[in-house]
Amino acid sequence: MRPSVGTVLSFLAAPKLWLVVFFVLPMMTMVLYSFWRVADYQIVADFTLRNYEKIGGSLYVGVFLRTIRISIYVTVLSLLIGYPVAYFLARKVRRFKLTLLLLVILPLWTSYLVRTYAWMLILGTQGVINQSLMAVGLIEEPISWLLYSDFAVTIALVHIYMPYLILPLYAVLEKINPSILEAAWDLGGGRIRTFLSVILPLSLPGIATGCLFVFIPSMGAFVTPELLGGTRSIMIGSIIAQQFGVAYEYPFGSALALVLMGIIFATAAFSLRYGKPKGLA
Amino acid sequence: MRRDPVKPFLAAWTVLVLLFLFAPLFVVALFSFNESSISRFPIRGFTLAWYQKLFANTALHEALWNSLIVAIATVAISTALGIGAAVGIHRYGGRYGGALRSFSLTPMMVPRLIIGIALLTFYNLFQTNLSLLTVIAGHVVMTLPYVILIASARLVGFDKSMEEAAWDLGAGTFTIFREVTLPFLKPAVVAAALMSFTLSFDEVVVTFFTTGNDNTLPMMIWSMLRFGITPEVNSIATLTIVASGAFALVAEMSLRRAQVGSTR
Repeated sequence: MRPSVGTVLSFLAAPKLWLVVFFVLPMMTMVLYSFWRVADYQIVADFTLRNYEKIGGSLYVGVFLRTIRISIYVTVLSLLIGYPVAYFLARKVRRFKLTLLLLVILPLWTSYLVRTYAWMLILGTQGVINQSLMAVGLIEEPISWLLYSDFAVTIALVHIYMPYLILPLYAVLEKINPSILEAAWDLGGGRIRTFLSVILPLSLPGIATGCLFVFIPSMGAFVTPELLGGTRSIMIGSIIAQQFGVAYEYPFGSALALVLMGIIFATAAFSLRYGKPKGLA
Repeated sequence: MRRDPVKPFLAAWTVLVLLFLFAPLFVVALFSFNESSISRFPIRGFTLAWYQKLFANTALHEALWNSLIVAIATVAISTALGIGAAVGIHRYGGRYGGALRSFSLTPMMVPRLIIGIALLTFYNLFQTNLSLLTVIAGHVVMTLPYVILIASARLVGFDKSMEEAAWDLGAGTFTIFREVTLPFLKPAVVAAALMSFTLSFDEVVVTFFTTGNDNTLPMMIWSMLRFGITPEVNSIATLTIVASGAFALVAEMSLRRAQVGSTR
């Protein structure tokens, strides 16, 4: 088939053009703004590194570190909770496989705002957990740290993003050739050894992709920490958002956003590089 | 094969995890029928009053209307562009196919917050008036990768010789697209459209930064939540959960039926 240049362009260029105009150019604008400054509520276009110097201050470094810490908790918890599920779906069930898979996908379709909100109803002082524990008599006063805390943010983010980790992990685990496992068995590898030295290394690409799918949105989380986090557990997303609200500090907000993107890209590059299976693949 | 002692544990774990995923949604639904105006557990009495109050709220009607406009426009644009992109990469990508696909998928790897504020700086630089149009542009960026992903997955099973046969019979490129490729892609188009609709309809962060004076439904929920829990939120939330659940089911069925069809 010899398509005309026009055809090729219309198929390939139109979608790319949209992404260039409404994604690439905006990202570049953000880079530009991060070197500008605000004077008298006007954005002034002269080159300065002041925004980046300001981030070096202990306040913002602290918030970045807390954001990274919470995102790591969320990622590790999602992996520990999600791995057995992905493994079960991929290798242990046959009859209800598609139904179970659908059940894992279904929550992804519901709004993250609504799912965040659900945890307010569960963790609040009037909420399901506190009121149930009080009714049973296990506690007399509601546990105050359940809501408006790092705990609340972590559990809600795990709830929201874990299915994104299960799916790529499932895809990788399902592709493992059963004959490799049988070979491991025949060579006398026990259950645990087969898992540790065959299955786990082979599933590394799935782990890497899945962890990124959880880590990246957690780093940029804004709605969830804003609604469930305490006054002392602010994440960087809220600080960035503030700069684009009444504060009207677009340049500083852009610089914060770029540092955030830098951390995200570094993590992505690292995990995609080391997330390759070694040996057997 | 040997009997598997691990399986029951894995099964039990999976059930627990599914409970963890679904229980919070049921809690919201439960509270939406609560008679008391304080969202306190356990719930007391059964009422539909909050739903009635919801349907009477005219500010909400406007927000719902705005959300529908944005979601429908987003679906139209991102499905058309995404299907075109997937077919284009599949047909003409050649050795650049991988790079082109990675580029199209990058917005997925960027937090919504960043997509939103980057657009805001861009609009600010060019002094663009913020409106539903500026919101739609952002929602397309956000949903396009999902459309391309779903369409590309379906195209993997596409037999190119069908297009070639049509070419030999004298059909032009766009005729082939309309008569051969598109019918094959139909289940993916349905699924991708439903997915974009849901993503756009539920989106709050990108909207927050790119909208002017127009409120969408998630934006209203967002501002209601910041002033504390109101019983009405429970009913809106429940309705969106039910709607997205239904959309997800239809999309899955569409893709699944197609898969069964193509393996026969």
